[in-house]
Amino acid sequence: MTTPPNPTLGIDFTRITLRDALDLALYVEEEARDRYEEFADQLAMHHTPEAAEFFRKMSRVEEKHRAHLQARRRSLFGDTPPAVGRTMIFDVEAPEYDEARTFMTVRQALEVALRCEVKAYSFFVSALKVVRDPQIRTLFEELCRDEVQHQELVLAELKRAAPDAPGNPDDYSDAPAPQ
Amino acid sequence: MEHDERGSATATLTPKDFNSGLKPIWCPGCGDYGVLQGIYRALTSIGRPPHEIAFVSGIGCSSRIPGYTTAYGFNSVHGRALPIAQGVKLANPELLVLVAGGDGDGFSIGGGHVAHAVRRNVDITYIVMDNQVYGLTKGQLSPTSPRGLKTITSPFGSLEQPVNPLLYLLAYGAGFVAQSTPADMPGMTKLIEEAIRYPGFSFLNIQSPCVTFGEEEQQMRAHKTNMKSLESLGHDPSDLNRALELAHGYGTELHTGVFYRNPNPPPTYDALVRIRQDEMRKGARPRSQVLDAYLQK
Repeated sequence: MTTPPNPTLGIDFTRITLRDALDLALYVEEEARDRYEEFADQLAMHHTPEAAEFFRKMSRVEEKHRAHLQARRRSLFGDTPPAVGRTMIFDVEAPEYDEARTFMTVRQALEVALRCEVKAYSFFVSALKVVRDPQIRTLFEELCRDEVQHQELVLAELKRAAPDAPGNPDDYSDAPAPQ
Repeated sequence: MEHDERGSATATLTPKDFNSGLKPIWCPGCGDYGVLQGIYRALTSIGRPPHEIAFVSGIGCSSRIPGYTTAYGFNSVHGRALPIAQGVKLANPELLVLVAGGDGDGFSIGGGHVAHAVRRNVDITYIVMDNQVYGLTKGQLSPTSPRGLKTITSPFGSLEQPVNPLLYLLAYGAGFVAQSTPADMPGMTKLIEEAIRYPGFSFLNIQSPCVTFGEEEQQMRAHKTNMKSLESLGHDPSDLNRALELAHGYGTELHTGVFYRNPNPPPTYDALVRIRQDEMRKGARPRSQVLDAYLQK
Protein backbone atom coordinates (compact mmCIF):
# COMPACT_ATOMS: atom_id res chain seq x y z
CA MET A 1 0.00 0.00 0.00
CA THR A 2 1.53 3.30 -1.05
CA THR A 3 0.84 6.53 0.77
CA PRO A 4 -2.11 8.29 -0.91
CA PRO A 5 -1.55 11.92 -1.95
CA ASN A 6 -3.29 14.50 0.16
CA PRO A 7 -4.60 17.05 -2.36
CA THR A 8 -5.48 19.69 0.22
CA LEU A 9 -2.42 19.14 2.44
CA GLY A 10 -4.55 18.32 5.45
CA ILE A 11 -5.93 21.88 5.65
CA ASP A 12 -9.45 21.91 7.02
CA PHE A 13 -11.16 24.18 4.53
CA THR A 14 -14.47 23.93 6.39
CA ARG A 15 -13.05 25.96 9.25
CA ILE A 16 -11.10 28.73 7.56
CA THR A 17 -12.23 32.32 7.18
CA LEU A 18 -12.05 34.49 4.06
CA ARG A 19 -8.96 36.16 5.51
CA ASP A 20 -7.31 32.74 6.00
CA ALA A 21 -8.26 31.76 2.45
CA LEU A 22 -6.71 34.92 1.05
CA ASP A 23 -3.58 34.42 3.13
CA LEU A 24 -3.24 30.81 1.96
CA ALA A 25 -3.67 31.92 -1.65
CA LEU A 26 -0.97 34.52 -1.05
CA TYR A 27 1.37 31.89 0.34
CA VAL A 28 0.71 29.70 -2.70
CA GLU A 29 1.84 32.51 -5.00
CA GLU A 30 4.75 33.44 -2.74
CA GLU A 31 6.02 29.87 -2.64
CA ALA A 32 5.77 29.59 -6.44
CA ARG A 33 7.58 32.92 -6.88
CA ASP A 34 10.40 31.87 -4.57
CA ARG A 35 10.73 28.39 -6.08
CA TYR A 36 10.94 29.72 -9.64
CA GLU A 37 13.58 32.14 -8.44
CA GLU A 38 15.50 29.25 -6.86
CA PHE A 39 15.25 27.28 -10.11
CA ALA A 40 16.51 30.29 -12.06
CA ASP A 41 19.50 30.56 -9.72
CA GLN A 42 20.21 26.82 -9.89
CA LEU A 43 20.11 26.69 -13.65
CA ALA A 44 22.07 29.91 -14.13
CA MET A 45 24.76 28.43 -11.88
CA HIS A 46 24.72 25.19 -13.86
CA HIS A 47 25.11 26.69 -17.33
CA THR A 48 21.48 26.46 -18.42
CA PRO A 49 20.77 30.16 -19.08
CA GLU A 50 17.71 29.93 -21.35
CA ALA A 51 15.66 27.83 -18.92
CA ALA A 52 16.98 30.01 -16.07
CA GLU A 53 15.65 33.10 -17.81
CA PHE A 54 12.28 31.43 -18.34
CA PHE A 55 12.02 30.53 -14.64
CA ARG A 56 13.03 34.09 -13.73
CA LYS A 57 10.14 35.30 -15.87
CA MET A 58 7.76 32.86 -14.15
CA SER A 59 8.91 34.20 -10.80
CA ARG A 60 7.98 37.73 -11.90
CA VAL A 61 4.57 36.49 -13.06
CA GLU A 62 3.89 34.81 -9.71
CA GLU A 63 4.97 37.96 -7.89
CA LYS A 64 2.43 39.92 -9.96
CA HIS A 65 -0.31 37.50 -8.87
CA ARG A 66 0.84 37.70 -5.28
CA ALA A 67 0.87 41.51 -5.30
CA HIS A 68 -2.64 41.54 -6.74
CA LEU A 69 -3.91 39.26 -3.96
CA GLN A 70 -1.98 41.23 -1.36
CA ALA A 71 -3.69 44.48 -2.41
CA ARG A 72 -7.06 42.79 -2.15
CA ARG A 73 -6.26 41.32 1.24
CA ARG A 74 -5.13 44.73 2.52
CA SER A 75 -8.27 46.46 1.28
CA LEU A 76 -10.45 43.92 3.09
CA PHE A 77 -8.49 43.24 6.26
CA GLY A 78 -5.80 45.89 6.54
CA ASP A 79 -2.63 44.74 8.23
CA THR A 80 -4.27 42.23 10.58
CA PRO A 81 -1.66 39.50 11.11
CA PRO A 82 -2.43 36.20 9.36
CA ALA A 83 -3.83 33.37 11.45
CA VAL A 84 -2.41 30.76 9.05
CA GLY A 85 1.24 30.11 8.29
CA ARG A 86 3.38 29.72 5.21
CA THR A 87 4.46 26.31 6.50
CA MET A 88 0.97 24.96 5.76
CA ILE A 89 1.62 25.19 2.02
CA PHE A 90 3.76 22.61 0.22
CA ASP A 91 4.40 22.78 -3.52
CA VAL A 92 0.85 23.81 -4.41
CA GLU A 93 1.84 25.88 -7.43
CA ALA A 94 5.59 25.77 -6.92
CA PRO A 95 7.45 23.19 -9.00
CA GLU A 96 8.75 20.31 -6.93
CA TYR A 97 12.51 20.36 -6.50
CA ASP A 98 13.08 17.30 -8.67
CA GLU A 99 11.60 19.10 -11.70
CA ALA A 100 14.83 21.03 -12.29
CA ARG A 101 17.55 19.48 -14.44
CA THR A 102 20.88 20.71 -15.67
CA PHE A 103 20.70 21.49 -19.42
CA MET A 104 16.91 21.37 -19.48
CA THR A 105 15.45 23.13 -22.50
CA VAL A 106 12.98 26.00 -22.51
CA ARG A 107 10.36 23.56 -23.74
CA GLN A 108 10.98 21.32 -20.73
CA ALA A 109 10.82 24.36 -18.47
CA LEU A 110 7.49 25.30 -20.03
CA GLU A 111 6.23 21.78 -19.40
CA VAL A 112 7.20 22.17 -15.75
CA ALA A 113 5.24 25.44 -15.58
CA LEU A 114 2.23 23.78 -17.17
CA ARG A 115 2.27 20.94 -14.63
CA CYS A 116 2.41 23.55 -11.88
CA GLU A 117 -0.62 25.44 -13.18
CA VAL A 118 -2.51 22.15 -13.44
CA LYS A 119 -1.69 21.09 -9.89
CA ALA A 120 -2.61 24.53 -8.51
CA TYR A 121 -5.96 24.20 -10.26
CA SER A 122 -6.43 20.72 -8.74
CA PHE A 123 -5.65 22.08 -5.29
CA PHE A 124 -8.38 24.71 -5.46
CA VAL A 125 -10.82 22.26 -7.04
CA SER A 126 -10.20 19.81 -4.18
CA ALA A 127 -10.67 22.61 -1.66
CA LEU A 128 -13.93 23.65 -3.32
CA LYS A 129 -15.34 20.21 -2.65
CA VAL A 130 -15.46 21.01 1.05
CA VAL A 131 -15.66 24.81 1.25
CA ARG A 132 -19.09 26.03 2.44
CA ASP A 133 -18.49 29.76 2.94
CA PRO A 134 -19.90 31.54 -0.16
CA GLN A 135 -17.20 34.25 -0.14
CA ILE A 136 -14.41 31.68 -0.02
CA ARG A 137 -16.13 29.69 -2.75
CA THR A 138 -16.22 32.78 -4.95
CA LEU A 139 -12.53 33.43 -4.29
CA PHE A 140 -11.47 29.85 -5.03
CA GLU A 141 -13.64 29.66 -8.15
CA GLU A 142 -11.96 32.81 -9.36
CA LEU A 143 -8.53 31.33 -8.62
CA CYS A 144 -9.49 28.18 -10.53
CA ARG A 145 -10.40 30.28 -13.54
CA ASP A 146 -7.09 32.13 -13.23
CA GLU A 147 -5.19 28.83 -13.21
CA VAL A 148 -7.02 27.66 -16.32
CA GLN A 149 -6.14 30.93 -18.03
CA HIS A 150 -2.50 30.53 -17.03
CA GLN A 151 -2.50 26.99 -18.43
CA GLU A 152 -3.75 28.36 -21.74
CA LEU A 153 -1.00 30.98 -21.77
CA VAL A 154 1.68 28.37 -21.11
CA LEU A 155 0.20 26.05 -23.74
CA ALA A 156 0.31 28.89 -26.28
CA GLU A 157 3.98 29.48 -25.41
CA LEU A 158 4.63 25.76 -25.76
CA LYS A 159 3.22 25.81 -29.27
CA ARG A 160 5.58 28.63 -30.18
CA ALA A 161 8.62 27.05 -28.50
CA ALA A 162 11.22 25.43 -30.70
CA PRO A 163 11.15 21.63 -30.61
CA ASP A 164 13.81 19.95 -28.52
CA ALA A 165 16.88 18.75 -30.30
CA PRO A 166 17.10 14.96 -30.56
CA GLY A 167 19.06 13.27 -27.80
CA ASN A 168 18.88 13.23 -24.04
CA PRO A 169 20.14 16.37 -22.21
CA ASP A 170 21.38 14.07 -19.44
CA ASP A 171 23.98 12.83 -21.92
CA TYR A 172 25.71 16.21 -21.71
CA SER A 173 25.76 16.20 -17.90
CA ASP A 174 28.97 15.98 -16.00
CA ALA A 175 29.95 12.36 -16.32
CA PRO A 176 31.55 10.38 -13.52
CA ALA A 177 35.27 10.96 -13.66
CA PRO A 178 38.05 9.18 -11.82
CA GLN A 179 39.48 11.28 -9.00
CA MET B 1 11.66 39.08 12.90
CA GLU B 2 11.65 41.27 16.02
CA HIS B 3 13.55 40.62 19.25
CA ASP B 4 13.08 41.58 22.87
CA GLU B 5 15.97 42.92 24.95
CA ARG B 6 17.24 39.37 25.64
CA GLY B 7 17.38 38.62 21.94
CA SER B 8 14.50 36.15 21.93
CA ALA B 9 12.09 36.31 19.04
CA THR B 10 8.95 38.24 19.86
CA ALA B 11 7.26 37.98 16.47
CA THR B 12 6.32 34.93 14.47
CA LEU B 13 9.25 33.42 12.59
CA THR B 14 9.02 32.58 8.92
CA PRO B 15 11.12 30.11 6.89
CA LYS B 16 12.95 33.11 5.40
CA ASP B 17 14.37 33.92 8.84
CA PHE B 18 16.44 30.73 8.58
CA ASN B 19 17.62 31.25 5.00
CA SER B 20 21.13 32.73 4.87
CA GLY B 21 20.68 33.87 1.28
CA LEU B 22 23.73 31.89 0.20
CA LYS B 23 22.74 30.08 -2.98
CA PRO B 24 23.10 26.28 -2.78
CA ILE B 25 25.37 24.80 -5.41
CA TRP B 26 23.81 21.34 -5.45
CA CYS B 27 22.88 19.87 -8.83
CA PRO B 28 19.42 20.95 -10.03
CA GLY B 29 16.97 18.22 -8.99
CA CYS B 30 19.00 17.16 -5.93
CA GLY B 31 16.97 15.85 -3.00
CA ASP B 32 18.89 18.06 -0.60
CA TYR B 33 16.99 21.16 -1.77
CA GLY B 34 13.81 19.67 -0.38
CA VAL B 35 15.52 18.69 2.86
CA LEU B 36 16.81 22.23 3.31
CA GLN B 37 13.34 23.64 2.73
CA GLY B 38 11.95 21.11 5.23
CA ILE B 39 14.53 22.21 7.80
CA TYR B 40 13.59 25.89 7.33
CA ARG B 41 9.96 25.04 7.88
CA ALA B 42 10.51 22.72 10.82
CA LEU B 43 12.64 25.35 12.53
CA THR B 44 9.89 27.90 11.90
CA SER B 45 7.44 25.63 13.70
CA ILE B 46 9.88 25.02 16.55
CA GLY B 47 9.96 28.79 17.00
CA ARG B 48 13.46 29.30 18.30
CA PRO B 49 15.39 32.14 16.67
CA PRO B 50 18.49 31.35 14.60
CA HIS B 51 20.95 32.56 17.24
CA GLU B 52 19.69 29.84 19.60
CA ILE B 53 20.49 27.10 17.09
CA ALA B 54 23.80 25.50 16.12
CA PHE B 55 24.14 23.39 13.00
CA VAL B 56 27.14 21.09 12.68
CA SER B 57 28.07 19.01 9.64
CA GLY B 58 30.88 16.89 8.28
CA ILE B 59 31.95 16.84 4.63
CA GLY B 60 29.88 16.05 1.57
CA CYS B 61 27.17 17.60 -0.58
CA SER B 62 24.62 17.52 2.25
CA SER B 63 27.16 18.83 4.75
CA ARG B 64 26.95 22.22 3.05
CA ILE B 65 23.60 22.74 4.77
CA PRO B 66 24.76 24.83 7.77
CA GLY B 67 25.98 27.56 5.41
CA TYR B 68 22.54 27.86 3.90
CA THR B 69 20.94 28.62 7.25
CA THR B 70 21.20 31.64 9.54
CA ALA B 71 21.90 29.41 12.56
CA TYR B 72 25.42 29.15 13.95
CA GLY B 73 27.17 26.74 11.65
CA PHE B 74 30.24 24.54 11.66
CA ASN B 75 31.07 22.70 8.42
CA SER B 76 33.60 20.52 10.20
CA VAL B 77 35.83 17.56 9.44
CA HIS B 78 34.82 14.46 7.46
CA GLY B 79 32.96 12.06 9.75
CA ARG B 80 33.49 14.17 12.87
CA ALA B 81 30.27 16.14 13.02
CA LEU B 82 28.83 14.11 15.91
CA PRO B 83 31.72 14.59 18.38
CA ILE B 84 31.80 18.30 17.60
CA ALA B 85 28.04 18.63 18.00
CA GLN B 86 28.18 16.84 21.36
CA GLY B 87 30.89 19.26 22.48
CA VAL B 88 28.79 22.23 21.35
CA LYS B 89 25.77 20.97 23.27
CA LEU B 90 27.71 20.29 26.44
CA ALA B 91 29.44 23.66 26.31
CA ASN B 92 26.15 25.48 25.79
CA PRO B 93 23.21 23.25 26.75
CA GLU B 94 20.73 26.02 25.92
CA LEU B 95 21.50 25.72 22.22
CA LEU B 96 19.34 23.61 19.95
CA VAL B 97 21.94 21.48 18.19
CA LEU B 98 21.39 19.88 14.80
CA VAL B 99 23.81 17.64 12.94
CA ALA B 100 23.65 16.96 9.22
CA GLY B 101 25.64 14.84 6.85
CA GLY B 102 25.56 12.12 4.28
CA ASP B 103 25.62 8.34 4.54
CA GLY B 104 29.35 8.20 3.81
CA ASP B 105 30.13 10.82 6.42
CA GLY B 106 27.93 9.14 9.01
CA PHE B 107 28.30 5.42 8.43
CA SER B 108 31.71 4.98 6.93
CA ILE B 109 34.17 7.71 7.80
CA GLY B 110 32.36 8.70 10.98
CA GLY B 111 30.70 5.35 11.62
CA GLY B 112 32.48 4.77 14.92
CA HIS B 113 31.07 7.94 16.44
CA VAL B 114 27.42 7.09 15.95
CA ALA B 115 27.24 4.35 18.59
CA HIS B 116 28.85 6.57 21.22
CA ALA B 117 26.68 9.57 20.45
CA VAL B 118 23.64 7.31 20.86
CA ARG B 119 24.75 5.69 24.13
CA ARG B 120 25.66 9.09 25.64
CA ASN B 121 22.23 10.36 24.66
CA VAL B 122 23.23 13.98 24.25
CA ASP B 123 20.15 15.96 23.22
CA ILE B 124 21.00 16.54 19.56
CA THR B 125 19.23 15.73 16.30
CA TYR B 126 21.14 13.86 13.62
CA ILE B 127 19.79 14.20 10.08
CA VAL B 128 21.43 11.94 7.51
CA MET B 129 20.83 12.63 3.84
CA ASP B 130 21.24 9.12 2.57
CA ASN B 131 21.81 8.99 -1.20
CA GLN B 132 23.65 5.63 -1.33
CA VAL B 133 26.64 7.12 -3.12
CA TYR B 134 29.55 9.52 -2.62
CA GLY B 135 28.13 12.30 -4.81
CA LEU B 136 30.55 15.14 -4.09
CA THR B 137 33.53 13.11 -5.26
CA LYS B 138 31.64 11.93 -8.34
CA GLY B 139 29.87 8.73 -7.51
CA GLN B 140 31.95 6.17 -5.67
CA LEU B 141 30.44 3.36 -3.59
CA SER B 142 29.21 4.51 -0.19
CA PRO B 143 28.36 2.39 2.86
CA THR B 144 24.67 2.30 1.96
CA SER B 145 25.16 1.52 -1.75
CA PRO B 146 23.12 -1.55 -2.65
CA ARG B 147 24.91 -4.77 -3.50
CA GLY B 148 25.50 -4.98 -7.23
CA LEU B 149 25.62 -1.20 -7.76
CA LYS B 150 27.93 -0.24 -10.61
CA THR B 151 29.97 2.86 -9.92
CA ILE B 152 33.39 4.11 -10.94
CA THR B 153 34.84 2.18 -8.01
CA SER B 154 32.74 -0.91 -8.67
CA PRO B 155 32.51 -1.17 -12.48
CA PHE B 156 31.35 -4.81 -12.28
CA GLY B 157 28.93 -4.20 -9.41
CA SER B 158 29.43 -3.89 -5.66
CA LEU B 159 30.18 -7.10 -3.77
CA GLU B 160 29.46 -5.54 -0.40
CA GLN B 161 26.41 -5.79 1.82
CA PRO B 162 25.17 -2.24 2.54
CA VAL B 163 24.92 -0.77 6.00
CA ASN B 164 21.37 -0.52 7.33
CA PRO B 165 21.31 2.85 9.16
CA LEU B 166 17.92 2.20 10.72
CA LEU B 167 18.95 -1.14 12.21
CA TYR B 168 22.23 0.33 13.42
CA LEU B 169 20.55 3.15 15.26
CA LEU B 170 17.84 0.96 16.76
CA ALA B 171 20.38 -1.61 17.88
CA TYR B 172 22.59 1.09 19.40
CA GLY B 173 19.60 2.12 21.52
CA ALA B 174 18.56 5.43 19.95
CA GLY B 175 15.38 6.79 21.49
CA PHE B 176 14.04 8.27 18.28
CA VAL B 177 14.55 6.70 14.84
CA ALA B 178 12.65 7.82 11.77
CA GLN B 179 12.93 7.86 8.00
CA SER B 180 11.59 10.09 5.29
CA THR B 181 12.11 11.41 1.78
CA PRO B 182 11.73 14.84 0.20
CA ALA B 183 9.17 13.19 -2.06
CA ASP B 184 6.85 13.65 0.93
CA MET B 185 7.57 17.25 1.93
CA PRO B 186 4.80 17.65 4.55
CA GLY B 187 5.64 14.30 6.15
CA MET B 188 9.38 14.95 6.10
CA THR B 189 9.00 18.41 7.63
CA LYS B 190 6.82 17.01 10.39
CA LEU B 191 9.41 14.32 11.13
CA ILE B 192 12.25 16.85 11.30
CA GLU B 193 10.20 18.78 13.83
CA GLU B 194 9.36 15.63 15.82
CA ALA B 195 13.01 14.60 15.86
CA ILE B 196 14.04 18.03 17.16
CA ARG B 197 11.36 17.95 19.83
CA TYR B 198 12.39 14.50 21.10
CA PRO B 199 14.25 14.99 24.41
CA GLY B 200 17.46 13.08 23.67
CA PHE B 201 19.50 11.84 20.75
CA SER B 202 17.24 11.61 17.71
CA PHE B 203 17.99 10.22 14.28
CA LEU B 204 16.27 10.90 10.99
CA ASN B 205 17.38 9.07 7.87
CA ILE B 206 16.25 11.00 4.81
CA GLN B 207 16.51 9.17 1.52
CA SER B 208 17.67 12.12 -0.53
CA PRO B 209 18.24 11.11 -4.15
CA CYS B 210 21.46 11.95 -5.96
CA VAL B 211 20.17 13.18 -9.31
CA THR B 212 23.57 12.88 -11.01
CA PHE B 213 24.99 9.59 -9.75
CA GLY B 214 21.97 7.88 -8.19
CA GLU B 215 20.06 4.97 -9.66
CA GLU B 216 16.75 5.53 -11.43
CA GLU B 217 14.81 3.53 -8.83
CA GLN B 218 16.19 5.77 -6.09
CA GLN B 219 14.98 9.02 -7.63
CA MET B 220 12.16 11.14 -6.29
CA ARG B 221 9.66 9.91 -8.87
CA ALA B 222 10.24 6.33 -7.71
CA HIS B 223 9.98 7.43 -4.08
CA LYS B 224 6.59 9.00 -4.75
CA THR B 225 5.34 5.68 -6.10
CA ASN B 226 7.00 3.37 -3.61
CA MET B 227 6.92 5.10 -0.24
CA LYS B 228 4.73 3.60 2.44
CA SER B 229 3.97 5.46 5.61
CA LEU B 230 4.43 3.46 8.80
CA GLU B 231 1.26 5.09 10.09
CA SER B 232 -0.73 3.58 7.22
CA LEU B 233 0.69 0.18 8.19
CA GLY B 234 -0.65 0.69 11.71
CA HIS B 235 2.82 0.71 13.25
CA ASP B 236 3.00 1.68 16.91
CA PRO B 237 6.24 3.71 17.33
CA SER B 238 6.65 2.56 20.93
CA ASP B 239 6.99 -1.07 19.75
CA LEU B 240 10.75 -1.58 19.47
CA ASN B 241 10.57 -5.19 18.29
CA ARG B 242 8.23 -4.31 15.44
CA ALA B 243 10.44 -1.32 14.61
CA LEU B 244 13.40 -3.70 14.28
CA GLU B 245 11.41 -5.97 11.98
CA LEU B 246 10.32 -3.06 9.79
CA ALA B 247 13.85 -1.63 9.69
CA HIS B 248 14.98 -4.85 7.96
CA GLY B 249 13.09 -3.55 4.94
CA TYR B 250 15.71 -0.84 4.36
CA GLY B 251 16.98 -1.11 0.80
CA THR B 252 13.91 -2.91 -0.51
CA GLU B 253 11.04 -0.93 1.04
CA LEU B 254 10.77 2.82 1.52
CA HIS B 255 9.04 3.14 4.87
CA THR B 256 8.43 6.68 6.05
CA GLY B 257 7.59 7.78 9.55
CA VAL B 258 8.72 7.08 13.08
CA PHE B 259 10.11 3.57 13.53
CA TYR B 260 10.72 4.02 17.23
CA ARG B 261 10.10 6.68 19.82
CA ASN B 262 11.02 5.75 23.37
CA PRO B 263 7.82 6.36 25.36
CA ASN B 264 9.89 6.99 28.50
CA PRO B 265 12.91 8.99 27.38
CA PRO B 266 15.80 8.55 29.82
CA PRO B 267 17.67 11.61 31.12
CA THR B 268 20.04 13.08 28.59
CA TYR B 269 23.78 13.22 29.13
CA ASP B 270 23.67 17.02 29.17
CA ALA B 271 20.99 16.97 31.88
CA LEU B 272 23.01 14.45 33.94
CA VAL B 273 26.11 16.61 33.58
CA ARG B 274 24.19 19.59 34.93
CA ILE B 275 22.96 17.55 37.91
CA ARG B 276 26.50 16.37 38.58
CA GLN B 277 27.79 19.93 38.33
CA ASP B 278 25.18 21.11 40.83
CA GLU B 279 26.08 18.29 43.25
CA MET B 280 29.78 18.99 42.98
CA ARG B 281 29.17 22.69 43.45
CA LYS B 282 27.41 22.03 46.78
CA GLY B 283 30.45 20.32 48.24
CA ALA B 284 32.97 22.65 46.67
CA ARG B 285 34.98 25.16 48.67
CA PRO B 286 34.15 28.81 48.09
CA ARG B 287 36.18 30.44 45.35
CA SER B 288 38.29 32.33 47.88
CA GLN B 289 39.42 29.01 49.46
CA VAL B 290 40.18 27.09 46.29
CA LEU B 291 43.94 27.14 46.88
CA ASP B 292 43.77 26.34 50.61
CA ALA B 293 43.92 22.58 50.10
CA TYR B 294 47.21 22.94 48.29
CA LEU B 295 48.65 25.46 50.70
CA GLN B 296 47.93 23.16 53.69
CA LYS B 297 50.11 20.47 52.14
